[in-house]
Amino acid sequence: MSETPVFDDSAKRQRYQLIVDTLYQDVYRYAYWLCKNGALAEDLVQETFLRAWRSLDSLQNDKAAKAWLFTILRRENARLYERYRPDIVDIEDQTIADSFDNEPDQRMDRKLLHDAIESLDKDYREPLLLQVVGGFSGKEIAEILDLNNNTVMTRLFRARGKLKHVFFPDGEPDETLDEPQYE
Amino acid sequence: MDDLEFKKRAYANPNEQSAEFLAAANASEERIQLLKQLQALDKRVAAAANSITAPEGLAAKLKAVDSNVVSIKANNTGFKRYIAIAASFVLAIGLALSPSLFSPRPSAADLQFHDDVLVHVYKEVARFDLSREDVSFTQINTVLEREAGGHFRDNERIKQLHIKFANGCNIASNSRGAHIVLDGSKGSISVIVVHNSPVSTTFDVKDSRFAGKIIPFGEGNLIIVGEKDEPLEAYETVIAEAFEWTI
Repeated sequence: MSETPVFDDSAKRQRYQLIVDTLYQDVYRYAYWLCKNGALAEDLVQETFLRAWRSLDSLQNDKAAKAWLFTILRRENARLYERYRPDIVDIEDQTIADSFDNEPDQRMDRKLLHDAIESLDKDYREPLLLQVVGGFSGKEIAEILDLNNNTVMTRLFRARGKLKHVFFPDGEPDETLDEPQYE
Repeated sequence: MDDLEFKKRAYANPNEQSAEFLAAANASEERIQLLKQLQALDKRVAAAANSITAPEGLAAKLKAVDSNVVSIKANNTGFKRYIAIAASFVLAIGLALSPSLFSPRPSAADLQFHDDVLVHVYKEVARFDLSREDVSFTQINTVLEREAGGHFRDNERIKQLHIKFANGCNIASNSRGAHIVLDGSKGSISVIVVHNSPVSTTFDVKDSRFAGKIIPFGEGNLIIVGEKDEPLEAYETVIAEAFEWTI
């Protein structure tokens, strides 16, 4: 993506469209996991990109676009929905049924994973998804979530600990998981 | 690297590629197994998370974000252009005569602060909306002094307000503030004093539910936010007159 400053509307438009093409799936995915509802996620993504379009000139480096969009999205979610939307449908079964895996075993596994990810407390789910899905480093996650790096590491540690317990219940119990490791 | 340190780092990021971490992973079969298990878990989580795909047509909707403006510009030819130029003159004269032209506009940082204020108010509203108990004048001043570095002077008008919530808040990074809440005619009214860089000018706080003001206020900012249509001017005067910075 370009790192050239924008001087006219068509260049701005081109730059914006490239960002949309490259990142809209990731942004939608993150929105979906954040609010756990397809329709709200779509609204949220539209609000996010509208804001991004309006303030595109403030984005200095397109390599930082993903983190920038995720930060806008979190803020929009907090502003629009987080505290006062009715607690409507959770992760929809429909999405899983429509996913690429048609084998019943794979669908079951995915359903189990969806439920497990969803059951994580938001404080744990967010950094995990940012790392695994978004590909962000601990430092970048800390910036997006406005936390310090140690807190992020602790939350990642605990998130994986909880999921591991769900998927590998026969593994030996890990006595360190309940202790604050980094904070 | 001891086992505990290895485990901490493996759980925090099983795909870490530093030489130190990889060497530590190869130090025992048990560590290799743990790492493989965590990496497999990550793959499954990623596959599950990535199985969500955006609805068809979303990209096109996002790209059309400003198409109306673009098409209007493209059609601005001939007569329409003259009309547009004439309209611009009228607008320019109107703006030149407007007193608001001479008022400073809020900066990008101010607008960010505005958004942070609203996020904070939404975050707290569930707590303070249910609160009914009066907070004593002494308690309020304790919170104000501890969190914001100031207090209310002994003032009868302040004492007449029904203040039902007083707590510290951290709206702005690296700064502390005090958030007090009182009952208004339409619902709760938040009064927040933050010890941070004052905003460049007084400006409105506004969204679909709340309205109010952010006011540069001595050593920081005074924020007054209530439900839309709540008359806030009287509160603003009382609070501004009563509050005194002590830092």
